[in-house]
Amino acid sequence: MYKVVIGLEVHCELKTVSKNFSGSRNEYSSLPNSNVATVDLGFPGVLPVANKEAVKKALKMALALNCETPDVITFDRKNYFYPDLPKGYQITQMHKPVGINGYVMINVDGEDKKVLIHDTHLEEDTASLDHFGNYSLIDYNRSGIPLLETVTEPCLHSAKEAIAFLETLRSMFLYCDTSEARSDKGQMRCDVNISLMKEDATELGTKVEMKNINSFNNVKEAIEYEIKRQTEVLESGGKVIQETRRYDDEDKKTYSMRQKVDAIDYKYFVEPNIPPVKVTSEWLEEIRNEIPMLQYERINLYMNEYGISRKDATTLVKEKKIAEYYEQGIKEGGDPKTLANWIVSIIMGHLNKFEIGIDKIYLTPKMLTELIKVLNAGKISIKQAKEVLYKALEEEKDPVKLVDELGISQIGDDDEIRKIALEVIDENSHLIADYKAGKKVFDYFVGQVMKKTRGRANPATTAKILREELDKK
Amino acid sequence: MDMLKFNIDDIRKKLDSKEVTSDELFDEAIKKAHMYQDEYNAFVTIMDKKEESDGKSVLSGIPYALKDNFSTKGILTTASSNILKDYVPVYDATAYTKLKESGAVLMGKTVLDELAMGGTGTTGHTGVVRNPWNKDRLIGGSSAGSACAVALGIVPFAIGSDTGDSIRKPAAFGGVVGFKPTYGRISRYGLFAFASSLDHVGCFTRSVKDAAYVTDVLKGQDEMDMTSLEDDGKVYADLIDNDVKGRKLFYIKEACDIENYNDSNDEELLETLKKFHETLDKIRSLGIIVEGVSFDKELLNAIYPAYMTISCAEATSNNANLTGIQFGPRAEGISINDIMFNARTQGFSELIKRRFILGSYILQKENQEKLFLNAGRVRRLIVDKMNELFKEYDGLVMPASGGIAPLFGTKSDQLSDRYLILENHLAIGNFGGFPSISLPSGFVNDMPISINITGRAMEDDVVLNIANKVEEVMGYKNIVAKDGE
Amino acid sequence: MISKEKLEDYASKLMFKMEDSEYETLQEEFDVILKQMDLIGKIPNISDVEPMTFPYVTYKVKLREDEVKNTLTTEEILANAKQVDRDQVRVPKVVE
Repeated sequence: MYKVVIGLEVHCELKTVSKNFSGSRNEYSSLPNSNVATVDLGFPGVLPVANKEAVKKALKMALALNCETPDVITFDRKNYFYPDLPKGYQITQMHKPVGINGYVMINVDGEDKKVLIHDTHLEEDTASLDHFGNYSLIDYNRSGIPLLETVTEPCLHSAKEAIAFLETLRSMFLYCDTSEARSDKGQMRCDVNISLMKEDATELGTKVEMKNINSFNNVKEAIEYEIKRQTEVLESGGKVIQETRRYDDEDKKTYSMRQKVDAIDYKYFVEPNIPPVKVTSEWLEEIRNEIPMLQYERINLYMNEYGISRKDATTLVKEKKIAEYYEQGIKEGGDPKTLANWIVSIIMGHLNKFEIGIDKIYLTPKMLTELIKVLNAGKISIKQAKEVLYKALEEEKDPVKLVDELGISQIGDDDEIRKIALEVIDENSHLIADYKAGKKVFDYFVGQVMKKTRGRANPATTAKILREELDKK
Repeated sequence: MDMLKFNIDDIRKKLDSKEVTSDELFDEAIKKAHMYQDEYNAFVTIMDKKEESDGKSVLSGIPYALKDNFSTKGILTTASSNILKDYVPVYDATAYTKLKESGAVLMGKTVLDELAMGGTGTTGHTGVVRNPWNKDRLIGGSSAGSACAVALGIVPFAIGSDTGDSIRKPAAFGGVVGFKPTYGRISRYGLFAFASSLDHVGCFTRSVKDAAYVTDVLKGQDEMDMTSLEDDGKVYADLIDNDVKGRKLFYIKEACDIENYNDSNDEELLETLKKFHETLDKIRSLGIIVEGVSFDKELLNAIYPAYMTISCAEATSNNANLTGIQFGPRAEGISINDIMFNARTQGFSELIKRRFILGSYILQKENQEKLFLNAGRVRRLIVDKMNELFKEYDGLVMPASGGIAPLFGTKSDQLSDRYLILENHLAIGNFGGFPSISLPSGFVNDMPISINITGRAMEDDVVLNIANKVEEVMGYKNIVAKDGE
Repeated sequence: MISKEKLEDYASKLMFKMEDSEYETLQEEFDVILKQMDLIGKIPNISDVEPMTFPYVTYKVKLREDEVKNTLTTEEILANAKQVDRDQVRVPKVVE
């Protein structure tokens, strides 16, 4: 058996209005070459002008990743020729990334794990190439979009851990509102470094790099394939070659692209057109204050403080807006368990069915909490409450008002139930003897009370009063 | 009519009094440019139509020439390289925009050393530029055509760029004023980058006051250039007559004292230095204190290699955009790689390629420490030393060159003191971004020689002020090579 | 002295070719500059100096506000490209 060692390099486009170094729009457009400025084309004489919001969001992520941040922001050039790189170099951060030496907590099958972050740095995206028969087309819309590259230490040991990290990282982008982090739009892409070593070995095995994998599922499959491939190579006495491989999601295999000997020297040097910009402690504090409680902490809070299951907690925090909805419900005095239960089972089902966000529904956390209060006061049954909730969601109504409108509030009042119970006993006096004789007629009496109250009578109260009155006869 | 041989003040007066119109000036400039083009080759493009502008300033209505490495929308901009021989930009350089807004009239785009990488004016893709004082001599570069056009009296001012001495050296060889202000004083947006950390925009004029006028129009912060400086709120032209009594200048003894060259038989060098010391005496007559100071020889000898190292390294990266894909001539080729290869193989001259390889070597991971970073370190040592001297002195005064403009084909000994120091010290101004001006100080062998004054960063006004006063006592203001022809 | 093969490799990585005679000049140039740089390396304590990138540092530089500004039209973007197809720059197929 071999120990698998995986390091990830995750690129994620940051959410800004304009590009990282130019004033053109950072927006996906179906019209090619419509969001482009001189800088994005690398025309002679253009100069990069760094975007404050991009730097801020990069710092925000660095802080969220528990990284050390630099005293000044500087950029570097990474030099290489490629048709999608109009300047012939990419502006990135090599000497002073926005974050170094960080970590992020993930949970894999109920077990906590600390993933070490080597660094996270701000750079720019390339133009996009579309390939046809014997030619390619270049669209510069993507050129210069701010990109945050997060590099882990080689500290992951399975596809499962890699995916858990990626899911966590994506949630951080969403929680921090720094990216939409959608891999279907190519906003989140991943390079995977993977090596195998003998369980008792002290040195890492030979590393294989897989570039630009564009979905989490592909990352999983690529890792699984590589583990299998490298294991086979090692088992048959072979050596894994240090190389860059490409994952083909059609046949789910990886293919060699280039070997180490052809490794490119990127000739990094400090970008001379962007003078160092100080990161003041005030600014950092301001940014830090904007970071919300993240998934991992929220899950622990929900489990430990609210006593809900990891499964429900994990579901609730998938989206920050849902987690906030849940927490607002608790603030309004709702019972955490019922709230969790209803949000997970009923509300999220509704959201999925209609493909809408929780901020788009009429039902507020307060309304939901009020409904729970009505339930807990015994005014309606759990079954009724759920029915009302479904109806409220569908008809966009306040559920408590619905309870009134439908006249389904439970009759919990003893006197009222007693009055009806006596009526029922009178009308069925012929059955009293059967009751006394131990025959099974009690349920019939209960049924009749329910019938008269159209099911509104509290079943427990009804049973209690009926027994009292029947026993008196 | 020969209005363009005057200084800006005089032309302004004649324009304002309607003695001459802007159209007439433009026509005169164009006519002269064409007349001299075959002989001197100052221009890549001579405009055939005057651009209209209703800008009002001291420069409005006055024709000028722009180095062909400034981006001009709709006007061919080649950087004197085959790789851009058909490039028509879609945007304007900030310097050009500012001049347009001031009402100045662009009359032509001038020849440079290919991609501004050279100091001879001989490597442009349209041929060599010749010195108006003697056609057998070069004018120097890289802003060769701009220097030439001003020296010929085609325009009263021209715009150039200066990475090592590319304005100040050709200005000196052409007998005109060449000024590059503090790094960042003028936006570089639209100036085709050679070495970004050393590149400056500046001007050629025939008087210090005119340099102040032009700089006043060009300066200011630009949102398109992060390295551009916040405006200092000063009008340099208003400050050039300030009293300079008590100002202090220094010169570098190791480079300028004649006794250091006792065993030299370089007559031209000795004559130049003799004249330099005579000039220093004239400067002293203004009440300015001029002293020789010692500067570490190893630092002086390091200027040239450090300059080469930094500039070639930055240049190889800055010019990686020239592949003929999104602009420039598209080369033939079956694959994309062939296209890029062919474009660059055909588009760059040999000298450029050699410099790129040098730059690339310098930046290689295994060489960075010893070459690129050591060059940056020595750059700091030199700049620190200068800033230390600037605590006591207001400026450095030096001969702009160790001699007159060389004859074509002269090879300099790149290891000699004259070459290493006297021909390269102007790069100090680029290392530290110091304002630096060359101005004519006399003649040797019927060719102009110049002095250079370099001051503290940010203090452009002080440098122009001192230079203006020095110009008055030297007596070589507004000399024109073709006067009386 | 740096071998011609090595220099050829550099040229190829910079995406151009040079003539044989041009390499000879280049080798001589390398010789001069490397000799001079050797001298710089011998300056006492040079390695303790922080390499300089910017002529001066003021820390007054401000980052750009995040707004859309100074963009080009599609016509301008493509004006200098020699082969345009469906509003994109067309090139021979790019294969990795």
